[in-house]
Amino acid sequence: MASNDDGSPGLFHTMGESLLGMAETAGGMGVLFGRILARLARLRFDGAEFMRSMYKMGVKSIPIVIVTALFTGGIMVIQAAPIVKRYGAQGLLGWGAGFGTLREIGPLLTALMLSGRVGANNTAELGTMVVTEQIDALRALAIDPISFLIAPRFLAFILTLFFSTLYADALALLGAAYAGKGLLDVEPSVFYNGLTSGLLSFSDVGVGLIKSVVFGIIMALASCHFGLAVKGGAPGVGRAVNATVVASAAGIFVLDYFVSFGIS
Amino acid sequence: MIAIEEIEKSFGHNQVLRRVKLDVPKGCLYGLIGPGASGKSILLKIIAGLIRPEGGRVVVEGQNIFEMPDIELQKFRANFGMLFQNYALFDYLTVYENIAFPLRRMTTMTEEQIRERVADRLKRVQLPGFEDRMPSGLSGGQKKRIGVARATVMQAPYVLYDEPAAGLDPVTSQRIFNLLRDEQRAAGSTVIMVSSDIERLLTVTDRVGMLYRGRLIFDGTTAEAQESQDPYVRQFVHGLVDGPL
Repeated sequence: MASNDDGSPGLFHTMGESLLGMAETAGGMGVLFGRILARLARLRFDGAEFMRSMYKMGVKSIPIVIVTALFTGGIMVIQAAPIVKRYGAQGLLGWGAGFGTLREIGPLLTALMLSGRVGANNTAELGTMVVTEQIDALRALAIDPISFLIAPRFLAFILTLFFSTLYADALALLGAAYAGKGLLDVEPSVFYNGLTSGLLSFSDVGVGLIKSVVFGIIMALASCHFGLAVKGGAPGVGRAVNATVVASAAGIFVLDYFVSFGIS
Repeated sequence: MIAIEEIEKSFGHNQVLRRVKLDVPKGCLYGLIGPGASGKSILLKIIAGLIRPEGGRVVVEGQNIFEMPDIELQKFRANFGMLFQNYALFDYLTVYENIAFPLRRMTTMTEEQIRERVADRLKRVQLPGFEDRMPSGLSGGQKKRIGVARATVMQAPYVLYDEPAAGLDPVTSQRIFNLLRDEQRAAGSTVIMVSSDIERLLTVTDRVGMLYRGRLIFDGTTAEAQESQDPYVRQFVHGLVDGPL
């Protein structure tokens, strides 16, 4: 079954090739992670590039995170509305929206939004720098591209996701409170009391924030790895961006499962 | 002197360089020629230590650069200036910041000294006043000249140029070659230049090497290359249609 009768690769050949490809990607990301950590541990990274990345990744993502967060809160209330109405459980609306948002939906949707905006952009930028020999030029100028380009972006990506999740959580709850007022006539004060009644704690916020850091690591690694591994000119950049988005989304869901399982 | 000894390099099943041996004397302007995909640019990147060969040595100032630890090799690269085929200007930096980049990163020069050096480089490449322009707003010829300014700003003893005149009109092309020759003479640097513009390249080189299918099939003075009776060299140097290539 190594190859079919017509000479095309057989099932096992194709499966083996895919597995080798995945192993190569995982290995490449592992090596890159080690190199980044070595630079970060010795504070060998470019401060200006870090600040530039924080601006591009963090500040420029604010509008899209605000819109996503506000509407996410509203959606949580829309989904909860039939149950709340049927059982008259208006007092639990704050807890219900808060529990789902803080532990799961907030970090998950923020990560997915930033995966498309920041991760894809980072891969395209690094890939273009590879294709136009800018990475080689850095090395020729005796500059370590990991210290200069990759480590600052890695750190900025994680911090961006962490802080974006933090304010996305707050905005989602704000959106939920006012959606509750509009759709279910639940006063924001009642919503707030539900949030702070003792059923929710700071550990629920903490779980979401831990997830945001884990998601940030995998997204930053994927976007940097695929960007640096670009081959084959402009079409290669397109393929790398696609691979980043797919790997990040898959990584986010898989890690979400394991982190949820591990912490709960 | 740069001594290239028995260099071998493959990408997958494709053997790009086959036991290439070549000496480039100190202070020489060496032209590396050959048909497309003959391994010229790869050899240039190997000399700069950017690509590791499977076999052979590159000896610069008595040291085999591939025996150096990575961190030492990274520092050693400061001895090289390099112009890339695609300019490789950092597109998020201005012209000034691009040229000042190596000075800021690798020297202790003050900003005033850097400003003076950059202004001098821009004058040399005939683009004074271009400091605040972005690379995206420059023509191909201007980008090449900014690339030359950046490659020479550190006044490195070894400079490598990959296709410095590709895609340029004949007049601009000749100006670029003359500029590189003048730069090399002024600095006394050792230069290796890859170019497909043979006619103009040979107006400035001291010695020439020709790569064909990964092998060095000719190494001699410019005059020897022009008078060579080797059918491959003769056809390539004179741009003849009929021949073994």
